Amino acid sequence: MGESIIKLVGITKVFPGVVANDNVNLEIREGEIHAIVGENGAGKSTLMKIIYGLYQPTDGQIYIRGRLTNVTNPQVAIKNGIGMVHQHFMLVPSFTAAENLVLGSEPQKNGLFMDFDKAVKITKELSEKYGLYVDPYQKVEDLSVGIQQRIEILKVLYRGADILILDEPTAVLTPQESQELFAIMRRLVEDMGKTIIIITHKLQEVLEVSHRVSVMRRGKLVGTMDTRDATEQILAEMMVGKEVVFEKFHANQNIGEKLLEVRDLVVRDNRGFIAVDGVSFSIAAGEILGVAGVEGNGQTELVEALTGLRKLEEGSIFVKGRDMAKGSPSDFRRMGIAHIPEDRLKTGLAPEASVNENLMMGYQHKKPYEGLGMKLNKKAISQKTAQLIRQFDIRTPSGQTRVKSLSGGNMQKLVVAREFSFDSPILIIAQPTRGLDVGAIEFIHRLIIDMRDAGRAILLVSADLDEIFRLSDRIVTIYEGKLTGEFRTADVTKQEIGLYMTGKNLSTAG
Amino acid sequence: MKKLKLSQDLEYIFSLALSVILALIIGAIIILANGKSPFTAYAALINGALGSPYKIATTFAKTVPLILTGLATAVAFSSGIFNIGGEGQLYLGAFAAAYVGFTFTNLPGIAGIPLALIFAALAGGFYALVPALLKVKYGIDEVITTIMFNSIATLFTSYLANYPFASSVGKMGATEMIAPAYKLLRLVARSKLHTGIFYTALIALFIYYLMEKTSAGYDFKMIGSNPIFARYGGINAERNMVIAMIISGALCGIAGAFEVLGNHYRFLQAISPGYAFDGMLVSLIVKNNVLGVILMSIFFGMLKTGSIAMEYETAIPSELVLVIQSIIILFIAGEKGFANILRRIYAKEGAGQDV
Repeated sequence: MGESIIKLVGITKVFPGVVANDNVNLEIREGEIHAIVGENGAGKSTLMKIIYGLYQPTDGQIYIRGRLTNVTNPQVAIKNGIGMVHQHFMLVPSFTAAENLVLGSEPQKNGLFMDFDKAVKITKELSEKYGLYVDPYQKVEDLSVGIQQRIEILKVLYRGADILILDEPTAVLTPQESQELFAIMRRLVEDMGKTIIIITHKLQEVLEVSHRVSVMRRGKLVGTMDTRDATEQILAEMMVGKEVVFEKFHANQNIGEKLLEVRDLVVRDNRGFIAVDGVSFSIAAGEILGVAGVEGNGQTELVEALTGLRKLEEGSIFVKGRDMAKGSPSDFRRMGIAHIPEDRLKTGLAPEASVNENLMMGYQHKKPYEGLGMKLNKKAISQKTAQLIRQFDIRTPSGQTRVKSLSGGNMQKLVVAREFSFDSPILIIAQPTRGLDVGAIEFIHRLIIDMRDAGRAILLVSADLDEIFRLSDRIVTIYEGKLTGEFRTADVTKQEIGLYMTGKNLSTAG
Repeated sequence: MKKLKLSQDLEYIFSLALSVILALIIGAIIILANGKSPFTAYAALINGALGSPYKIATTFAKTVPLILTGLATAVAFSSGIFNIGGEGQLYLGAFAAAYVGFTFTNLPGIAGIPLALIFAALAGGFYALVPALLKVKYGIDEVITTIMFNSIATLFTSYLANYPFASSVGKMGATEMIAPAYKLLRLVARSKLHTGIFYTALIALFIYYLMEKTSAGYDFKMIGSNPIFARYGGINAERNMVIAMIISGALCGIAGAFEVLGNHYRFLQAISPGYAFDGMLVSLIVKNNVLGVILMSIFFGMLKTGSIAMEYETAIPSELVLVIQSIIILFIAGEKGFANILRRIYAKEGAGQDV
């Protein structure tokens, strides 16, 4: 393994309210496959975007081949031989593979027109040189995800990259496609002398393909080690950490009747693939069931199915004994399910609308807020919203303020205020504290515990294991749409859970 | 701090006013470049729009179709469904009103006129329903379908007016006259202002109430603001979009009916010079705000009426008004820029106060 090719010194990136990267020092050596692992929100992608020039660091230096470089934009990165394959492909579906490959630096004819024949020739040559076979004439929309990824990689190579950054390359691939990708990666490194940085959170992949591995957690680089010295156990521990930041809550003794029961649930994702694969569980009044898992393993689809936002493929959802298989979102709400969605800006709020308008969603057709002739009772509404703003400590200049101008923490408090105010017996809560500061996290955690003590049945989905451990009475782990384990929180360690949620022990739920 | 929402609205009103003023200044430069005085030209324009009862009446007569089609756009667009098919809905509404008017000739006006309006609203509403259903059931883009539906409706009504329902007096692309009882009363001598303006005022009031004061209006606006949020909150987005589209189509149909009942007294194959598109511009300029649509429609009505007087008195082509309208729209597209200028001025003042 060669010399240091990229060196990051003290890289810090601060977004409003969030420290995404905190004094990160990292060295990438020439000719290695360097894996960067960490939970979601650990700061991996931010760090890579800084190297690629998509973000500017708040502090710190980047050395490329020993030279201090100011990577102000991706062009600078490309000029320095750095290429990035994004998690979401940036291909034009109606263009052919060859057209996509050369897009942005097209070969030209007569100084004016694109030379299609040359593009095809380039594609063929590159394909052969790197052993990445694609049909230059096929349209991208007709190609599988694995092949699309090859085009992305070829595209980066076409632009002369020696250092390839692959952002979660296997997230969209089948296991076979992943194996092919690893073979390609090895060939690029061993035969072509390229350097590869791969971001992932699948520990088995790290052990299989990388030479060295760096672990990130909460914006900090926890450590770098040779992969041959690493085990899944060690990496999982580094990923989830050991320290307990918060005091523990008391357990609830009053477990009531079963309010929500899910049997053999099967749900498809937007692309039509099975995302939730035969999941069964139940939650009783006064109980929090935590769903631990790396994001993208079916949690989103599970939550959407449980709130009527996504159609079931198979199985049943019983709310207080009633089958909700064909329910609409408003049916679910009427039956007593409130929902804190994982993406507050996309789902939980209308950012362009006012605080009051966002708080009154769900009240507009209820008495006394709606009077005769569908007339809204402005007085009753403003009393209600003012009360919620006060009670949940939503810091806003006024109820008329547009939600998009609030801080993330106050947006989330708004969502929580509305959803908790309905007195719904069942709460489906996803990523309740993502991106929030410690104070807001504590506030929301206390509210959730209060709800539990008030006899609500709560499903908590979170990518933050600390959160799951702090709040849940029971924990299930989810991996590739299946529940891989079920535990009482008191009987299990974070490290064990970490292993189950990264795909170890793929057995049926206990 | 309390007036933040208000100040955001104020920001928009400020940018709008600035756009109008800049457009008028550019218009003035164009007039100057042609060797004329912008002051006399604009004086003639204002005088032509507001200088006498007759002129005011003419201005308001031009405002009626703008308000109706503008509101039609406002209702649909703020509900997140894009009705570009107003022109076709207007043609069908106009034909439906004419059909009632020349078929049920024995009805008295008090029954006949509402019947004609209802038929027009139904025709426009039904015609809007089809693309709305195609959108919510099959995800077919309503922008495309409604645009195509415009051609179908204008050509279909043209066929009706030329063949099955052609006027017995020669082939002129028009139907028979409606019965006299259907003709809306003219309000000012020689002007085309008819009692339709009162119906329009009532309709505008209703739409204002619907959109601003009711839970239905709230549902519409939340769907328009973030459809995913609306669905998540339990609103039936599909059903509400369809309803908004029907209301939108009905308003366009009524706009067509007034052209027949108050203006031409028969259906003509080219009865609208693109009113629905003018209304759409009006609504877009004011961000689909109901009050804004009414005020902006009156302003555009003034420009239209005044421009003819201006051309007559100063020999400046009335097309100048089109230039001014287009420049307003162009500037409004850059509204964010104006808002930023305003914010910077504010920031400077604020900084001054801090010291």
